[in-house]
Amino acid sequence: MAVITTVQALNDALGLMMAEDQRVYCLGEDIGKMGGDFGVTRGLYDEFGGERVRDTPLSEAAIIGAAVGSAMVGMRPVAEIMFADFIGTCYDQVVNNAAKVHYMFDGQFRAPIVIRTACGGGFGGGPHHSQQIEGWFMNVPGLVIVAPSNPHDAKGLLIASIEDDNPILFLEHKALYRQKGEVPEGKYTVPLRKAKVVRPGKDITVVTSMKTLYDAMAAANELEAEGISVEVIDLRTLRPWDHQTVLESVARTGRAIVVNEAPKIGGLAADVSAVISEEAFSYLKAPVMRVCGLDTPIPFSLPLEKLILPDKDRVKQGILKVCGK
Amino acid sequence: MPEVSPDQYLALFRDMWRVRKFEQALEREFKRGKVPGMLHVGLGQEATLAAIAHSLRKEDGIFPDHRCHGLLFLKGTPGKKIMAELFGRATGICSGKGGSLHSADASVNNFGDNGVQGSYMVTALGVALGWKMQGKNNVSAVVVGDGTSGRGEWHESMNLASVWKAPVFFICVNNGYAISTPVGFSHATEDLVDFAKSYKIPAVQVDGNDVLASFQATQEAVAHIRAGKGPYFVEYKTWRWQGMFSGEFRPAEEVKYYKEDHEPIALAKADLLKKGIASPEQLDAIEKEAEAEIEEWVSYAQNSPLPDPAKATANVYIGWEVESWQS
Repeated sequence: MAVITTVQALNDALGLMMAEDQRVYCLGEDIGKMGGDFGVTRGLYDEFGGERVRDTPLSEAAIIGAAVGSAMVGMRPVAEIMFADFIGTCYDQVVNNAAKVHYMFDGQFRAPIVIRTACGGGFGGGPHHSQQIEGWFMNVPGLVIVAPSNPHDAKGLLIASIEDDNPILFLEHKALYRQKGEVPEGKYTVPLRKAKVVRPGKDITVVTSMKTLYDAMAAANELEAEGISVEVIDLRTLRPWDHQTVLESVARTGRAIVVNEAPKIGGLAADVSAVISEEAFSYLKAPVMRVCGLDTPIPFSLPLEKLILPDKDRVKQGILKVCGK
Repeated sequence: MPEVSPDQYLALFRDMWRVRKFEQALEREFKRGKVPGMLHVGLGQEATLAAIAHSLRKEDGIFPDHRCHGLLFLKGTPGKKIMAELFGRATGICSGKGGSLHSADASVNNFGDNGVQGSYMVTALGVALGWKMQGKNNVSAVVVGDGTSGRGEWHESMNLASVWKAPVFFICVNNGYAISTPVGFSHATEDLVDFAKSYKIPAVQVDGNDVLASFQATQEAVAHIRAGKGPYFVEYKTWRWQGMFSGEFRPAEEVKYYKEDHEPIALAKADLLKKGIASPEQLDAIEKEAEAEIEEWVSYAQNSPLPDPAKATANVYIGWEVESWQS
């Protein structure tokens, strides 16, 4: 099995799907000859040409609109929004069109699009190049949000997303782009709406996604020495997320922490925490805790940014508190 | 200019009456409380709507705007299913889930209206792009009002349609006002062709109350697009009868001009009589037939059942169901 980066794994998935299915094409800013800001579409222009690896102007509404319209007549577009922070410029297209065409016309049309976008902080990107945006979309029926944490899942989830008939917002954390991992050659899928227990444990469940998985894993490894057994879950699909895997885990451990990079108020962690409280209250030995970003925009200077995002130590402190230590 | 045969002219005239009677019946039922939600009607814009409908093929795409109930049935959807949709009934074209602002019919490539004005201009671009990539020769027609020219999607879609030579037919129904705001007050130009020309899209203005002129301009637009020459823009200068929420706000002489002196059906009628294409009795019969047909649709809608409760949670996702109160 080849050891490749997340960027290469995503590139592999796009190349495989474009070769297999003529309906699949990419569109976005600087994705053609340049290969995208992060290189995810590198080489695809040479292989498939400018019709299927389509450079656009800075017109995010048109990128998503063109994707939705072409999907309604049978294409399978993969749109790239360069930075997730830019998605406000096409919010209406995602929320009112992509997510609703199937419902409001009672099933007559489908919008099987994938919107790939680079998200997440920790690198000094500042207020408009660092945000975690799933919270902006948690309240949008019809939309699916997928978020891989490693190269293997990135490839398998992207292929599954392209093959799925729902509109999918596919989040790629910038801190994980250069991370390497074993990735099978050829086509395979990782199931959507299915979380994964990455590390089994007995004392507490930590629900994570994307980069926060690694904060939780590091905290769990350190706490193992202190006699606390931590179970870590990677949600992989953030909306609608996998209630069953999380609730079964909490039923075993009796304690839960939800970690999320976005601000705590009204976000993914709030929903996960609420569902655990509603559905697994009788198993809980302590209140569910959220470890999230603070209620601030992302500051530019690195030490300031570090102050507002969750990290290994903050997850560790949370675990100790919920475990009564 | 393409010739218009007497039969074609009469067909246009009949469809103007069908649109007029449909909208009048709808307005009447709305005031009676039988039609829920909000209502925008296309009264006064019948010539433009008939001209568009008679120039598109069934396989061409249409994105009708909020005053386009007429286009919905003129495109080929049974009128009773449109009426039932506007009444929120189970027999509606979208099972009562879309209503006036979201009535689509995939079987005739009607991709539906949109509650956010102009938002679907980029969707129409996408349909055109998809068809072009698939080697199809269909036209993707999108109807927008004058007020939409302030929206970003207007400019993004025109720029990219021009760059991609996408088969988009931009139909601008300029009735002079965005709700209460006159076009020229809030836009850099009163002539919205100016915007299209700046994107290097062929663009013409036509008297949208003159059905023959509108028909001929539309035919030329569609021929250009179908020949693979890229997008085309037509601005139909017209006027809507419907005031706004607080009633009539426009100058009395303007109202008189458009509702009496330059009223589209009266103009066509006078011309048909002058050219000897039909007798006054024949033209009156066309009006009465249209009225009877529309009233049948109204009674079909009124007698149709309300939607099955299961429809409320149906077709949110493909592949799985959402939670309902029962579960």
